[in-house]
Amino acid sequence: MTDPPATPALSVRNLHKSFGPLEVLRGISLDIAQGAVVTLIGASGSGKSTFLRCLNHLEQPTSGEIYVDGVPITDDIAGLRARLGMVFQQFNLWPHMTVLGNVIEAPLRVKRMPRPEAVALGRRFLAKVNLLDKQDEYPARLSGGQQQRVAIARALAMEPKVMLFDEATSSLDPELTNEVLAVMRDLARDGTTMVVVTHEMAFAREVSDRVVFLHMGQVEEDGPPAQVFGAPVSPRCRQFLSSVRA
Amino acid sequence: MLDNFYRYVVLNAGLLGQGLLVTLQVCVQAFVLGVVLAIAVSLLRVTGRIPRAIGTAYVEFFRATPVLVQLLWVNYVWPDLFGFPTTAMGAGVIALALQTSAYLAETIRAGIEGLPRGQLEAGRAVGMSSLQIVRRIVAPQVALVMAPALISQMAVVIKSSTLVSVIAIPDLMYAALKIVNEWFEPIEVLTSTAFLYFLLIFLISLAANRISDRFRARFGLAV
Ligand SMILES: Nc1ncnc2c1ncn2[C@@H]1O[C@H](COP(=O)(O)OP(=O)(O)OP(=O)(O)O)[C@@H](O)[C@H]1O
Ligand SMILES: [Mg+2]
Repeated sequence: MTDPPATPALSVRNLHKSFGPLEVLRGISLDIAQGAVVTLIGASGSGKSTFLRCLNHLEQPTSGEIYVDGVPITDDIAGLRARLGMVFQQFNLWPHMTVLGNVIEAPLRVKRMPRPEAVALGRRFLAKVNLLDKQDEYPARLSGGQQQRVAIARALAMEPKVMLFDEATSSLDPELTNEVLAVMRDLARDGTTMVVVTHEMAFAREVSDRVVFLHMGQVEEDGPPAQVFGAPVSPRCRQFLSSVRA
Repeated sequence: MLDNFYRYVVLNAGLLGQGLLVTLQVCVQAFVLGVVLAIAVSLLRVTGRIPRAIGTAYVEFFRATPVLVQLLWVNYVWPDLFGFPTTAMGAGVIALALQTSAYLAETIRAGIEGLPRGQLEAGRAVGMSSLQIVRRIVAPQVALVMAPALISQMAVVIKSSTLVSVIAIPDLMYAALKIVNEWFEPIEVLTSTAFLYFLLIFLISLAANRISDRFRARFGLAV
């Protein structure tokens, strides 16, 4: 990389989050460059999900600042959320809406886009996840992998600055994870800025520009995949990696 | 027997028919008002601590008092207390609606609590407002899971409505009793009345179940 863009797509400063007496995030600071793919790894309970959920205020951070494109998030929470796309482990599609209905709901209601425009946009993103032929189906009739791809299209349809993935493949059967990972690879190749929480180490190694290892709510290791996987500085990171490989 | 049927039922078909219409009128109005009140109470119960307490007290009170008592209470006490209702019809509708709303509010609450948290979070994550989430995500799904409860509550309203004859609303039950008291021949009239109520509830439930099943099938959910 020669001339990196001055403003990161997403900046997090000293983020803290406690649930009652339990301090889950203990001061996380990260800059995510435009177009970067950052994977977040760490043991169960290390705070990965909580971190992602704090980014779009599904959990209210206890303290710390979040900037999207250099703009601090103060009280326009809905605006923040509209600029961060989120993909959940459980898909969370709305079962009473068609596939296309799920995808265009937020453009219609949140952006107040005219319907024909929203439909065109929705179809464009369904094509991107290879599900244009399912646009009139209801989610219950789709496989898990297809549902997750719809969920990705739904998040993309808001044309967010950053896409957040929280273990997007963890509730899928192994034979279905690949179709979802393929879509995520495509997005990465297209220059989408992504923060990906995953247990798929192969994906982290091959696709991401940067791997961040969280330990007990802090960034314990942070670097390009070759370094983090090849020669981690932190002994805890080394231990974690050997435990997931075993 | 056929003779009696002809004399007391067929010749009084007009009276019974009118009674049936009044029954329908009371039930439809009570049910609609009951649903509206139930939604209002449910919203109250998610608004804050004190509104929730009020909503819960409402639900508990109206679930634990007999319909007959409420009917008499609304009809004879409310006009002095609140200045309404001014007609027996109004009192009948309100009393039935109060009871229904208390049961439905409970079902709505269960429906909302049964909704996976992720459903709401997906709405929040794309920037939808609370009102949009309630209208677009919560309400349709709760309505769908509530369908069986709604249908059985319709049947309850129709059955409870037979009590409105005590405040002189000329419903089907009232018409039947009137004929019986005139001729002292209860067999054919009451049997026909029972059958009419059965038919009414059966047909309404059948239609409502059909509609709900059709929606479930459309969404690919288990019927
Ligand atoms: N709403 C909550 N209330 C209380 N504690 C919570 C809540 N959400 C998460 N926690 C706790 O915070 C800690 C971090 O949880 P989190 O879900 O962020 O971990 P994670 O790294 O995503 O783990 P996993 O790999 O299992 O998904 C855990 O100890 C968890 O029990
Ligand atoms: Mg998690």
